[in-house]
Parts: sequence; structure tokens; C-alpha cells
Amino acid sequence: MAGSALRRLMAEYKQLTLNPPEGIIAGPVNEENFFEWEALIMGPENTCFEGGVFPARLAFPPDYPLNPPKMKFTCELFHPNIYPDGRVCISILHAPGDDPMGYESSAERWSPVQSVEKILLSVVSMLAEPNDESAANVDAAKTWRENRMKFEEIAAKTVRKSLGI
Amino acid sequence: MPVILLERIPLPSLRTYTSLSVVLLSCAVFYAYQCVLAFQTNPHNSDLNGAGIEHNVNIGNSKEISDILNDPDVVKEPLPSEFDIQLPYESFWWNVVYVLTSEIWCIWTVVNTAYCCLILLAKLIQKAVFGELRVVEKQHLKDKFWNFLFYKFIFIFGVMNVQTMEEVFVWVAWFSFLGFFHLLTQLSKDRFEYLSFSPTTPRLMHMKLLSLLGFILFSCMVLLCACTYIGLHAGITIFAFMAAECLILAIRCLHVLGSVKRYVIHLYEMNVDGVWENRSIYIYYTELIFELSAISIDFGHHLHMLLWGNIFLSMASLVICMQLRFLFYEFKRRLNRHQNYRRVVKNIEARFPMATEEEIKDHNDNCAVCWERMESSRKLPCGHLFHNACLLSWLEQDTSCPTCRMSLSEGPQGDPNGNVPDETGDARPNVPHPPHPPANPQTTNHFFHFDGSRYVSWLPSFSVEVTHTQLLPHGGTRLPALQTSQLDNMARQVLSVFPHMPVNLVTEDLRNTRSVDFTIENILEGRLEAPPPGTLVTRAAIGDSESEEEPENQQLLLPSVISQTGAMALAENLYQEQNDRPSYIDDNIPLLEENRREEITEPVAGPSTFGGRFSKSTNEREEMLSDRKNSMLEMARKKYLGKTSSNQGDLNCEEESGIKNNILHTQTSTEEYLRRPDYTQTEDSLRDNTQTPDSLRDYTQTEDSLRDYAHTSTEDPLRRRELHYKAAQRRFNGETQL
Repeated sequence: MAGSALRRLMAEYKQLTLNPPEGIIAGPVNEENFFEWEALIMGPENTCFEGGVFPARLAFPPDYPLNPPKMKFTCELFHPNIYPDGRVCISILHAPGDDPMGYESSAERWSPVQSVEKILLSVVSMLAEPNDESAANVDAAKTWRENRMKFEEIAAKTVRKSLGI
Repeated sequence: MPVILLERIPLPSLRTYTSLSVVLLSCAVFYAYQCVLAFQTNPHNSDLNGAGIEHNVNIGNSKEISDILNDPDVVKEPLPSEFDIQLPYESFWWNVVYVLTSEIWCIWTVVNTAYCCLILLAKLIQKAVFGELRVVEKQHLKDKFWNFLFYKFIFIFGVMNVQTMEEVFVWVAWFSFLGFFHLLTQLSKDRFEYLSFSPTTPRLMHMKLLSLLGFILFSCMVLLCACTYIGLHAGITIFAFMAAECLILAIRCLHVLGSVKRYVIHLYEMNVDGVWENRSIYIYYTELIFELSAISIDFGHHLHMLLWGNIFLSMASLVICMQLRFLFYEFKRRLNRHQNYRRVVKNIEARFPMATEEEIKDHNDNCAVCWERMESSRKLPCGHLFHNACLLSWLEQDTSCPTCRMSLSEGPQGDPNGNVPDETGDARPNVPHPPHPPANPQTTNHFFHFDGSRYVSWLPSFSVEVTHTQLLPHGGTRLPALQTSQLDNMARQVLSVFPHMPVNLVTEDLRNTRSVDFTIENILEGRLEAPPPGTLVTRAAIGDSESEEEPENQQLLLPSVISQTGAMALAENLYQEQNDRPSYIDDNIPLLEENRREEITEPVAGPSTFGGRFSKSTNEREEMLSDRKNSMLEMARKKYLGKTSSNQGDLNCEEESGIKNNILHTQTSTEEYLRRPDYTQTEDSLRDNTQTPDSLRDYTQTEDSLRDYAHTSTEDPLRRRELHYKAAQRRFNGETQL
């Protein structure tokens, strides 16, 4: 029920505020609704996304720690594991029951011991190392595999755009 | 889409409607007044027959319903015409009322007024309790309203088969009240769900919601009394119909009331986990009883309608059957869930003992599910501790330890529940995937695949697979799988992607996986290996997406692999070079940044930028969060600009388009001149540099900055850097606009 989910989200918010991991800021968009968060993720260093600040939305289900939140980048991001509409495709965000691509072992999927912090950290590492075998954006995966220069060029543009300059 | 059509009808606003109703009502009253006046001044007809017929003004009042249901003759008697009026009462105003309720258009006016009042009351409640409605709530209300209207229409005209206007009238009045309360309950439920998403809702809001629900409940009771009264006169069937509706409403209301109350208690008083945990079972069962009883009453109600209404072969029966079916499945689903719950509870109690005090002390950590302190907990075989309730709700949907993913399923007998994932076998940690996806050797399969998109793009693709499980053990001898055309077809598909794979290997794997995708995946992951040159070539083939026709051409692929890796190495080199930027610029960046920081004079305080404090006040927290976000963005921006300006000084990173190259060119030349002692030549040489029309714009920009530069003291290196930085920024602005 929503009560325990709320308390858990509060605890996570507190932890993320007190000890924020580097390059990650997350919190409720509006405290009237604790189940809708916004996160800012810094592009990891020494990758083509370095320097960018990418905003994303996290929507939590009412039974939160039992089911994963949904994550969606609100900026344009050309990446093999991000759908063109911004949804993030990583195994940690997949509910234990469903398996959209049909290849993950359940060990990689959501479990209540995961947290917003872990999700965001995995997203950062996903940005650093795209997994082109389970592509959500086929174009991006193809470009990543075949034309790395072009991919980096697009990424550089994205970074600039994300900074608003 | 009747609803959409209905939405397009230009309904008058509430204000117009109200004023219209008021005008109509006053017309009717005036008319009645005139009638009575005329009658009394001209009393040749004053044959007052106080026949003792009681009439009530209030439409929808239970008394009137009973009257009409009781002896329809009262209303069926022909209404007196205007000049033939017979006034039953002595009192003047009672006579006015009598006229109002006997003249047909006056009745309609009064009814209209009653609805207007109801709508106004609804508006008032909405304003007082809910305030502005959210979009979701509005949508739910709308859906619920039309749904209600539809079913009640079916009920009145399909099931009750009413004949006279008066009967319709009475039923409509009844359902108006019922619908009104249903909608309010729905609204309270939605609002409560929303409120429970926030820890900071004011206490007043909860109180309002609770009192509204109490009011609805009270009204329910009144309605129930009314329908008992009517039932006594009109028969058990009518009573059953009405009472069922009332009961459903009451149960829904109680349900919401219960959850609100629980939530409020939870929020304000329940800080002790232990008590809460023990109550979770009680809560579960109350929920279950509420849900099941609401569904079963609804089911009985519809069944009653179907059987009583004598409507077996009509549209109405179809609608009711659909509803019955839906309710049945809902009931079944709920029961299944409950069975699963019971099974999990039993399982937990049998297999996972409560942790002892010492174990909890040793564990010395919060529950990993709810992140709260553990007073009592269950211990899993893998040694992890969780709250009883947390473990229960997780195991309802999965069968592994949340922390280490150790399988907790009940072993050989398996679990009868379908929705629990059955891949617990490979859920153990650190166990690599089995070489083949699990395939039951003792099955024969019929696999049908329809690829619709091959014919028309919007047709779906689907596969149907029928599996016959052999119950008798075959002693390890495996049935030869059928070499169907289906299999061949799939093999051909796989081979079109991986031409170098031997056909028999692919076919063999397909027999196991029964899916092209799985086999392709197996090949990709290296579980299915081709004879050398092996997987590297496979990957290259995928990477270059060149489908080689002949397997003999494999050797040709290798150069492309090399070239690809070569390119990667090159890219990496570039990266390296970008990272080892010349030091003379790097050294200056911090200075520049500091300089800018002073200029902008950021109001953001140091500690709030990097967290470290969790304020108790909501507003402050929100403010701090947005501050932190802004400062992060600002920092990233600065860092980026600093980096790019330094990068542009570096000739090595000319990897952008032609325009960019031009910019770089001008840029480097300016930079060179900046380093020179005499700046007088700068403009001339810049002109030399920028004769191409493409770069004229950039040139003018640079020129501006140089002019700025000329005006400032040439001695100040910091200022020089800053100008340079500004020029870079301007250039970038121009470029992003491009």
C-alpha cells in the first residue's frame, strides 16, 4: 500500500540528499506527489557523453519497492539502450515477472533491494558502456557498432543541447 | 462513440443553467399563484373536495415514490385542466403547491429545479472538500457517469420494462440519488489515492474526506430504510433490486472509509513497526472481505435481473450477461490471488523461522525492502532477514530472495501458481546461463508462426505453439523431433543472418529453442559455435550487416574487422589526445572559472549545492533541490565551455564539419595573435584569414571581441582569456542556432 511506499521513498530521498553520488541529483518534482521524481544525470567522464547533464523522469508505482519505477529521459538522447521516446531499457528496471526481450535471467531484474540510487548508477554505467545486443534504439545501436565517429558526433551535439548552449 | 458525441453537445454552463431553472421555477410559481388567485376570486367552482389525497412537493422523496408505487391511480387520474381546477386545501399556499404538482409542465419545472439543486449541491461539496479536480479524477467521474447512465437505462427499460411515465420518473429519481453518491464515493477514492502519495497533506483534508464519507454512509442508510419501506409495499423483488444497489454503494463507501482511516492512523500515530506488522493480516482480510462481498452482491444483483426480467432474448440480457461474465472473472481472479497468498503464508510459516533477537542484533541493518528498522523478522535459508509483511508481499509475486536471488520455491512439487516465474532454476547467483535455454526433451511441439507484416505492414505477427507433454517417462530416449517445413523455414531465416553456420547445427538448436530469435541469440552469445574461424567473424558479420552469400567468403571479412578495430583505436587515440590537453590552457581554466564565479556572484550557498542537509520543511527541501540542480547545470556548463575553448585552441581536434573548421581556423589565428606582443596587425591578418564568405559572420564576431580587447588593457592576461572565452561562447551560440 501507498503508505509504506511513501516512507521508503522518503528514506531514499533523504539518503540521496545527504550523500549524493557524484553526478547524480534526484528528488520529487513536487512534494505533493512523491511518486514522480526528476533526476539529473551527468554524463560519465571519459565517454562521449562527458559533460552533459541529462534530465529524466522517474514514475513510481504505488507498490513501489515491489515493482520498479519507470524511467524516461526528458531530453533527446541517442543511445542504443534508450528508446527514441526517452524510455530507458535496462534490465534492473524490468519487473521480475515480465521479460520484454526474452533473454534476461531474473538475477538481473528488479528486486526490492534495488533503489533509485542504484538505478541511476546503472544508467550512468549504461551511458558509458552501451549494450548493443539488446538495442532499444536500433539506429543508435547500428551507429554505435558501425560508425563510432558519427555516434560520438551526435553525442557531442546532445551534450551541448543538454547544457542549453 | 456516443460519449464523444455527447461531449460535443454544447451544454450550457452551470450559471446559465441555474438561472434558467430559477426563471422557469418562478414562472411556474407565478402561474400557480395566479391560478389559485383566479379560483378564489371566482369561487363558482369552489367545490373543495378534501379527498385526503396527500401530495408532497419534493420530487424524489421516498414518500412520493411509495405513494405512486402504492396506488398508481393517484397519478394516473386525468389531470385537471386550467379552468376545471379543484383545490383540495383551505390554505392558499398549499393550493399553490397542489397546482404546481398537478399541472404537467409545472411538474417538469419542479423536477428540473430539483436536479439543479442536486448539481449545485454537488458543486458545493466539490468546492468545499476537493477543491480543484485533477484531470484523472475528472476522467474517472465522466467514465463512471456514462457507465452508470448506460446500465441504469438498460435496467429501467430493459429489465423493469416500465410502461408509464410516472414509473420512469420515480426510478430516475432514485437512480439520480444513487448515482450522485456513487460519483462522490469514486471521487473520494481517487482523491484519497492521490493524497496518500504525499506525506505533507494537511490534516484538515483528511478530516473533510472522512466526514464526506460519513455523510455518504449515512445517506446510504437512509436510502436503505427508504427501500425497505417501499419494499414492504411494492414487493420483495423491487426491494431486492433497490437494496442491492444500496448495499453495493455502502460497501464501496466503507471500503474507502476504512482505507482513509487506516492511512490517517498510519500517518499520525503508527510509529511503532511491530504493531503495524501484526495488523497487516487483519487489514488483508478486511480488504478481501470487502472486495469479495461487493463483487458477489453485484453478481447476485445482475443474476436476479437476468432471471426476473424475463429478458432472455433481448439486447438487455446480452449486456447483463457480459457484466456477469466480467464479475465472475473478477471474483475468480481475486480468489486466485487469495489462494496464492494463503500458499505463500503457509510456505513462509513452515520454512522460514522467525529470527532470534541475537540474529537481528547481528544483522544490524534495516529491512532491505522497506528500509525500516527490524523489530521482528523472518530468516531465509540464505541468511537474509526481512520483515514478515515485506517478505510476504514480495513472495506473492516472486520466489527468490530479494537480496541474493536464491530460489525459495518449494522444490520438486513446484508451484501451482501460473504467474510465478518458473525460471527459478537459473535464478541462482553466479551461475552462468545453461548452454541451451531449457527445453523439455519429452515434448512434441506444433509450432505455427504467422508473419503478418510480410503481407500488410499493420498485420500482427504471432506464433502459436502447442506442446504435448509426455507423461510417461521415456527412459532418456528422446523422441526424434519432427523435421517439419516449419523448422526448415526457420533454419533458412537463421542462415540468412549467419550464412556460415552449418545447417544441421542451426536446425538442432531450433528444435530446442523453437524460435528464430532464441537461436540467433544463442549464436550471438556464443552458445552455439560454428566451426572456426568462430565467433569473431560472426560478430563482424553482424556488425557490418553484410550478408555474405557463401561461407567460403569468410576470410574476406577479416580485413573489415581489422579496419573497424583500427577505426576504434583511432577514435580512442583521439580521446586520449583530447584528454591530455596542453597544459598551458588547463592551468588557466580554474582562474577563469573563479573569475566568472565572482562576476556572476552566485547566491547558492556552498553546502546546499552538494546536499549534506535534509531539511524538515517541504518548501526548503524543494528549494534546495532546485538549487542543487541549477548549480549542477551551471557547473557542467562552465566546465564544458572551459573545455571546449581549450580544445579549440588545440589544433588536434578538428573533427567537426567544414564550418567548424573555419571557426577553428580563425580561432587559432586569433589565438596566435593574442600571444604576439603587437596587436595592431590583428585585424588585417584576420581579414586575410577570413576571405571565404562562410566565415564572415564568425569573423565579425571575433573582430568585435578583438575590438573589445583593444580597448582594454593589454597587460591583463586574465581579461584576455575571458574575452577569448566569451568569443568562444558566442560562436557556440551561433552554432547551436545553425
